[in-house]
Amino acid sequence: MEIVVCVKPAPDSETRLRANPAGTALDSEGVKWALTGYDESAMEQALLLKEAHPGSRVRVVSFGPAPRSEEVLRSALALGADAATWIEQPAELAPDPLLAARAVAAHLRDAPWDLVLTGKQAGDDEAGLFGPALGALVDAPSFGGVSAITHDPAARSFAFRRSVEGGSETVTAPVRSVLGLQQAANDPRTAKLPNILKSRRTPIEKVPWALTQAALGPHGRPATERVAFRLPAPRSGAKMIEYRTPDEAAEKLVRLLQGEAKVFP
Amino acid sequence: MLVVGEIRDGRLVPSSLEAVAAARACAGPADAPEGLLVGPAARTESGAFAAAGLGTVHCDADEALARPTPWAWSRAIVAAATAAGAETIVLAGTAAGRDVVGRVAAVWEAAGVTGVTAIARGPTGRLRLTRPVFGGRATEELEVAAPRAVLAVRPHAFAPPPAGTTAATASDLSAPRPEKDGRITGFERVAGGAGPELGDAAIVVSGGRGVRAAENFSLIEDLARAFGAAVGASRAVTDAGWRPVSFQVGQTGKSVTPQLYLAVGISGAIQHLVGMVGSRVIVAINSDAQAPIFRVADYGVVGDLFQIVPALTREVRKARGLG
Repeated sequence: MEIVVCVKPAPDSETRLRANPAGTALDSEGVKWALTGYDESAMEQALLLKEAHPGSRVRVVSFGPAPRSEEVLRSALALGADAATWIEQPAELAPDPLLAARAVAAHLRDAPWDLVLTGKQAGDDEAGLFGPALGALVDAPSFGGVSAITHDPAARSFAFRRSVEGGSETVTAPVRSVLGLQQAANDPRTAKLPNILKSRRTPIEKVPWALTQAALGPHGRPATERVAFRLPAPRSGAKMIEYRTPDEAAEKLVRLLQGEAKVFP
Repeated sequence: MLVVGEIRDGRLVPSSLEAVAAARACAGPADAPEGLLVGPAARTESGAFAAAGLGTVHCDADEALARPTPWAWSRAIVAAATAAGAETIVLAGTAAGRDVVGRVAAVWEAAGVTGVTAIARGPTGRLRLTRPVFGGRATEELEVAAPRAVLAVRPHAFAPPPAGTTAATASDLSAPRPEKDGRITGFERVAGGAGPELGDAAIVVSGGRGVRAAENFSLIEDLARAFGAAVGASRAVTDAGWRPVSFQVGQTGKSVTPQLYLAVGISGAIQHLVGMVGSRVIVAINSDAQAPIFRVADYGVVGDLFQIVPALTREVRKARGLG
């Protein structure tokens, strides 16, 4: 089975967020780019399927600017991916999930694959558009919020759970599906040192932007433009509730939530 | 303009009405949004949907769409958008709603934006959308640079419009089903998950290490029930196995941005804070006055949660008329 895992470089979750001087984007100065939780779950699921079905291959694909894409591809290789493909995104091109899906879809048209795994959403923009859009563009089923995938080679299908409001669905989907992993869908492994060293020597296949651009034609542009990026004003510290009895504390708190904060009828 | 409603267990999902409010916020006065409902209950629910302020409601009553797959649903949505002559599609940003936006945007050649909390027009008349990013730690504004847009609005961001008296005009619609699609074969309710889903809840009550034992977690659940809130937990709780990992809020769990977040017995490690700091109002109840959670909270109660929480549960029940 040929498993393709799509990952996106996103700021490490410990990153201290700052807006750029124009207030239109994250200030990327000093940001460490990493695999985020959802993508880690996708990577782990791919490795579990590979272990359960010997002879399978895991290829990790990333559309993004250099060098941050290379960093996350190396991380995925260190975790156990067999091959890596970097689809170049020019640095001046604004990130856009639909554009990323079109670029990856163009690449997959000539590549063998049985299953595409990705995070349900990215850790930065949290859009959740990439997987569904990719599914549509490669004429395949797509499901997000997925966990616990099993493969039935005889039936050429996958079975999994999909998290929705109030519970989870059981779903089956044919080979050649695009599945977006739920965060904490599994317990992602950490890379072992020998694998980290080996991953540094693994060649990364590069798809130049010119190739993608030729395939996309008029669609090779973002459909949205970010015009503002803001951080919330820091909170000034909690208003502490003075009380003599627990009942008094409860009464005062409810009154504040109703009257002042207006978050409660 | 097309508003896509969602039907769950045969009933219109309330956030579908919020989607109507969002659509009306960006529609011109002459532009009456149309609606789409799918599944066997589409026609019976179309009246309630239209009453929120819609013209025609397109109904694809196919039994197979009772729980639509994203592919099948996207086909119906594109067919309805074509029938309505729409340039903008608005949906409720539920798990299922968000899972279809990318598909529709890709085939309908539109911009797709999820998690929308405010809609305006930019200086050049383009749609300008506000949405939280980084788990609510930051906010971005996007302008639509394409002629068409598909938007999913964040639950609770828009107030549902008062029910009007619009006479529903239901119109039958039938889109071809995809052939190689997956199948949703079952649904299992989460045990103890009677309340709203963690990611969508307007109010979240989370418990932490201060709860001390699995059996004490019922205190948190009682308070959540009184509020009509979802239950969350810190990593200490899920690591100890007191509650499953699906309850976890924070860096390795879910990010939530409810209107009100109550952190009970949670000290406020950075791993937890990144998952909830985007909440609109934060209340902390903790025995340690020095706990970092008080630095991000709006209201704080220093005290023994085993005394404060039951009192608060009683008070909230009283305030909501639950006795």
